[in-house]
Amino acid sequence: MPVPVPVPMKGLHFRPEIITPKAQGSKREERRRMGSFMSSFFGGGGEADPDEEGSSHVQAFHSFARWQLHLNSLSQTPQLMVVDFAASWCGPCKLMEPTVHSLASKFPGVSFAKIDVDELSDVAREFGVQAMPTFVLMKKGKEIARVVGAKKQELESLVQRHHTAS
Amino acid sequence: MAASGFEGFEKRLELRFSWHYPARDWLGLRRIEFHHLERVLALVQCTVVSAVGNGFFDAYVLSESSMFVYPTRVIIKTCGTTQLLRSVCPFILLAADLGLTICSCRYTRGSFMFPELQPFPHGSFKDEVSYLEDRLPAALSDRKSSVLRSNNMAHHCWHVFTATGCARLGYVTGDGSYTIEVCMTELDRASAGRFYPTGIMEGCSISKAMTRATGIGDINPRALICDFAFEPCGYSMNGIDGDRYSTIHVTPEEGFSYASYECNGSVHDAKDEITWVLRKVAQVFGPGSMSVSITGVSQEVWARIGGSLEALALKCCDRSDDEFPGAGTVIFRTFTRMTRSETTTGGYNGW
Repeated sequence: MPVPVPVPMKGLHFRPEIITPKAQGSKREERRRMGSFMSSFFGGGGEADPDEEGSSHVQAFHSFARWQLHLNSLSQTPQLMVVDFAASWCGPCKLMEPTVHSLASKFPGVSFAKIDVDELSDVAREFGVQAMPTFVLMKKGKEIARVVGAKKQELESLVQRHHTAS
Repeated sequence: MAASGFEGFEKRLELRFSWHYPARDWLGLRRIEFHHLERVLALVQCTVVSAVGNGFFDAYVLSESSMFVYPTRVIIKTCGTTQLLRSVCPFILLAADLGLTICSCRYTRGSFMFPELQPFPHGSFKDEVSYLEDRLPAALSDRKSSVLRSNNMAHHCWHVFTATGCARLGYVTGDGSYTIEVCMTELDRASAGRFYPTGIMEGCSISKAMTRATGIGDINPRALICDFAFEPCGYSMNGIDGDRYSTIHVTPEEGFSYASYECNGSVHDAKDEITWVLRKVAQVFGPGSMSVSITGVSQEVWARIGGSLEALALKCCDRSDDEFPGAGTVIFRTFTRMTRSETTTGGYNGW
């Protein structure tokens, strides 16, 4: 299968200043207000905060150094790695979160890594990420497949096909 | 046409907002939490099946068509027997909570194949307009509803309602941006047949195989395509290209076959862009009947398209134009497949 060539990132205007502790705090407050507001509209009970952390089978990388270390260590092995390029503000990324966590639990032999495109924008650029979520499947340091968009069945079938070490 | 079947004709709603806080943020409506969007879609009676986002907007493929969320604009298009207008109030409230006020609304649709199957208020355009009139804030005081008709009773009409409250909307009129909405019926059987799954190609999903086999990817080669194939047949796709969207939905079954194409663009694009797109769309689907509605371009721009569809044996039957507040000119044209004698005698040139 031909390996897609990463293209320069275009049309993606990531704003690093959005990811600040203050922004996160105000986002939680905003969510709480919107939650109770919408509950009154829909007539439901109190709106619980959606669980953002999820399973610990997905490893999030927040520094370039740690990411490089992980990438280098896996490039020596035939283990499949799935890299999830996402952003905290990305709606389509939220759609895929439960699927990613469930795949990570189902395939413990596969390494699932999460990269925030604002935190590690250089890594996102290097991989030619133009839209989100983008899932890059890698073995021995090389990209073997990629899924752009929240496509549950496509990602699952690719992981199923490539998860055995070979 | 069959006595009953799946309603391919969509209802389309576009809501535009402006900031009422002095501080703005570049995300706007894209900050609406995904689980809130899911609840709004539940009211409309549809779900998200696939999605993708870039720096400009988020594009969702729905179980019945599509939704696009820009910072200050949301477009939602649903088919079947969905209750699209139930999304109006929740979107106004969700936007208000982010500091955004609604400043214009546009609702459009063709004519339903099976109108008797539609839930309230979609059983009649009069009820739909009434529903919107009651729910839009009084500040959107400039309102108009109109039906652009075809002389041929067999063809569908184009229903348009707009409401606006903004004195100046550079992005609605005068800035050169347009929207094209194409509705096609009586798809030729060979074209429709490509939207039935024929087994999984190795290394490729069914939807990707359909996109490739039909040439849909060639309509805008720059676009990133998020496609989805339905069981037992049917297809949807959203294309994203910078801040431009395109979307296709196909119901291939004989007796009620239908396909739609929609995109946005700018008159400042390449001159032949609209022509190229319409020709390619007609080639992909081979419709027996096709309507084109363009919002936001002048008649002079339309005139440049000329007889481009004639070369594909589609003759222009009717034309109807009107002006709408907050939307500008809406141009509506219907085309039908020429008979053999019409193609050999040079066809119809009613532009």
